[in-house]
Amino acid sequence: MNAVIEVRALEKRYGRVLALNGLDLDVADGEVHGFLGPNGAGKSTTIRILLGLARATSGRATVFGRDPWTDAKDLHRRIGYVPGDVNLWPNISGGEAIDLISRLRGGAADKAAYAARKRRLVEAFQFDPTKKGRAYSKGNRQKVALIAAFVTRADLLILDEPTSGLDPLMESVFEQEIRRAAGEGTTVLLSSHILSEVEQLCDRVTIIRAGATAETGTLAELRHLTRTEVAFVSGGLTNAQLTSIPDAHDLLVDAGRARFSVDSDRLAPVLSALGALDVQGLTIAPPSLEELFLRHYGEQLDGAGAGAAPTGDASAPAVSPRHAEGANRR
Amino acid sequence: MSELAALLRQRIRRDRLQLFFWIGGTALLALFAATAVATTYGNAAERDQILALAIQSPAILILRGLPQGGGLDAFVFFEIFTYLALLAAMMSTFLAVRHTRAEEESGRAELIGSTPAGRTLPTVATLVHGVSANILIGLGVFAGLALGGMAVDGSLIAGVATTATGIVFLAIGMLAAQFMRTSRGANGLAVALVGLAFLLRGVGDALGTRTGPLSLASAWPSWLSPIGWAQHTAAYTENTLAPLLLSATLAVLCFVAVFVLQGVRDSGASLIPERRGRASAGATLSSSFGLAWRLQWGTILGWSVGGAAFGLLAGTLSSLVQQAAASDPSIQQSLQSIVGSAGSMTQTLVAAMFSFVGVLAAACATQAVIRMRQEEALGTAELVLSSPVSRVRWLVDYLVLGLVAIAIVLAASAGVAALSLAASGDGSVGAGDVFATAAAQLPAALIYLGVLSLLFVLVPKAMIAAGWAFVAVGVVVGNFGGLIGMPQWLRDVSPFTHTPVITGSTTDWSGAVWMAAIALVAVGASVVLMRRREVSTA
Ligand SMILES: Nc1ncnc2c1ncn2[C@@H]1O[C@H](COP(=O)(O)OP(=O)(O)OP(=O)(O)O)[C@@H](O)[C@H]1O
Ligand SMILES: [Mg+2]
Repeated sequence: MNAVIEVRALEKRYGRVLALNGLDLDVADGEVHGFLGPNGAGKSTTIRILLGLARATSGRATVFGRDPWTDAKDLHRRIGYVPGDVNLWPNISGGEAIDLISRLRGGAADKAAYAARKRRLVEAFQFDPTKKGRAYSKGNRQKVALIAAFVTRADLLILDEPTSGLDPLMESVFEQEIRRAAGEGTTVLLSSHILSEVEQLCDRVTIIRAGATAETGTLAELRHLTRTEVAFVSGGLTNAQLTSIPDAHDLLVDAGRARFSVDSDRLAPVLSALGALDVQGLTIAPPSLEELFLRHYGEQLDGAGAGAAPTGDASAPAVSPRHAEGANRR
Repeated sequence: MSELAALLRQRIRRDRLQLFFWIGGTALLALFAATAVATTYGNAAERDQILALAIQSPAILILRGLPQGGGLDAFVFFEIFTYLALLAAMMSTFLAVRHTRAEEESGRAELIGSTPAGRTLPTVATLVHGVSANILIGLGVFAGLALGGMAVDGSLIAGVATTATGIVFLAIGMLAAQFMRTSRGANGLAVALVGLAFLLRGVGDALGTRTGPLSLASAWPSWLSPIGWAQHTAAYTENTLAPLLLSATLAVLCFVAVFVLQGVRDSGASLIPERRGRASAGATLSSSFGLAWRLQWGTILGWSVGGAAFGLLAGTLSSLVQQAAASDPSIQQSLQSIVGSAGSMTQTLVAAMFSFVGVLAAACATQAVIRMRQEEALGTAELVLSSPVSRVRWLVDYLVLGLVAIAIVLAASAGVAALSLAASGDGSVGAGDVFATAAAQLPAALIYLGVLSLLFVLVPKAMIAAGWAFVAVGVVVGNFGGLIGMPQWLRDVSPFTHTPVITGSTTDWSGAVWMAAIALVAVGASVVLMRRREVSTA
């Protein structure tokens, strides 16, 4: 598959702040790609570079094989964009703003078809297009940018936290529209802090941290990289017996239960060791997405991350996390 | 109490630099005017001659003030006081709107409103802050005049009158902020009222009646203007504070209205209700130029109405001048010797009025470029620049709009001036000359367009302040450079110094050509540099 977005060793410096520090990002044709990272990690900065609004200090970024800084105008014909902070003109109505953006993008040429698409989206998002820009709530400002992005067919949608401020009902409308666009072959780069949304929509995700790529892959691949939590009744077991369990990390005995974590692909030997000890009240919790992110986000807070970050090579898992998760949910 | 102190501290911190320049600049203007007049017009006979001339020529009276006899101190008051009052008024309206409506508009007021400070206390803090700033500017004027060697009691009266004018416009600015939904609208309304006050006072002085050989009593329009009231203190001659009772009354009424209105309306809402917009856009909103026009036509209309007012004034005053000159031919000779050309009285008057129109056109161009920066900082520019509109195209659209705006302002004032001259039956200046005079203002306005465009590209974050400072410096240096005895090289800094004066058959257009060339180079450079410039948000 062709790469729609290709970013290599991207660096962006704002004075003394190094906003991007060797970022890599690949988005393939037709995929919905999640773009995650803690506040200030550099998501919006990357997106602004991909749109040619900011210029990279060094490194390479291409969109459809072209340099967004020099070919911005041509590329923008193919790109729909929802900014992280949607600001509207105070005395221009939402409906007018949508029309303006669409006309600038050349998407309103067929008037009847455009009007029909706009009407459908305005109804789907339950949006009042007659208010002036300053009178909209945050969620409604967001809807203006969303409708403008969806109303014209784009080859690539770049969405910076597009659902911030939307209510749950509108979020599901948004998810429908993304699926519709993806069904038409549109590639989507979706920056988001909402994990369920990412889980629902994205084929692959890239997690960035402090301006550099931390992880990239499918959600299933990423799950392999985290540890599974194991707990059981500790009564009747000696310390020596507990410490003999292979690959157990962070072993802890608390309130009569022993807990430890284990790399998800090292579960099989642990299970046989636990079987030999005949432990009682065993629970095995697969890594949730939240844990996955907390781990990556948290390491930044810890500073260097103490080398705990697993590397990106996904070896064959002993237990499929999806499977384990399903079994656990019951 | 501690909340009020905190709010005051925040205001002082935010404004300290800006107020330092406003107050310091005004005090220096007072000082320089006092010392320069003493050295340039130290001779009493010379002063008498100028005052005799001024009394006969409404243009000078509008641009200066009300003559109160030939004494040196009274002469300085006549020359400079209305401008000191004007500066205090401008400082106060901007201050008022900055801390009230602009805060509400940005949503910051809501942050404060949700703390124990509540909704009313910030307004109280703005009032205290604004009154303090005006006391300081009054002290500055007093110090400047007194250090310049003028009588202490009269200088004190002039200082108090300046403070009073500032406080009235502080109140008017705060009231405008209650009515208008946007800070742009509130500033526009308040500044228009300041302009109206200056103009009413000018017309009142121009139509004044003689009370002595070298003194006038102004006509009624001046009594409708807070700047007129301040002028009627007649510092250095009558030294009366009585007219300031009018100022105090108006200020108190406005402040009461502000607090009443503040009490009944929601935070962020205005008293002029929001109209619904259209569900879909009209044909104008199809390009980035159309958007720029849609965003700015109201402002351009405002500047054009101002320009038309000066045009009307030029036309209507000319007949008065004609009458005066008919009764005393020596007046015309003296006026010509001042302007340094052989034009007719009417031509001189038209040239004087259009020097103001030129400032309006330059300010309009400045605002057009500043609007581009505001769009960028607000984030709405991003919506346009992420569509197939290149950065250069966007810049050029705004510059073309600035050019159109200048042309509209100049055409409106020239059209009205020509019509009103024709209506007054004054055939000495034809429509062609009026339009040539208007066209002569174009190069200076183009300089503002070009230089601001370059500033926008190079130093976006500083350009708004730098732009207005450039206008202020241009006006002060251009209009007062001669009066306060600035060296020629310094006066040459102001574009307005180089505007051709069309008063006769031989007009020197070289300054205009140079300015147009410089503007063109600046625009070219900004277009080239814009290719390499990032979109820079706040
Ligand atoms: N114009 C700028 N000037 C200086 N620093 C900047 C600028 N823009 C971004 N930064 C810095 O670059 C870093 C990355 O910011 P960015 O907005 O890309 O983060 P983000 O991942 O989008 O965060 P969030 O999740 O909060 O939206 C931050 O440290 C930010 O302070
Ligand atoms: Mg962001």
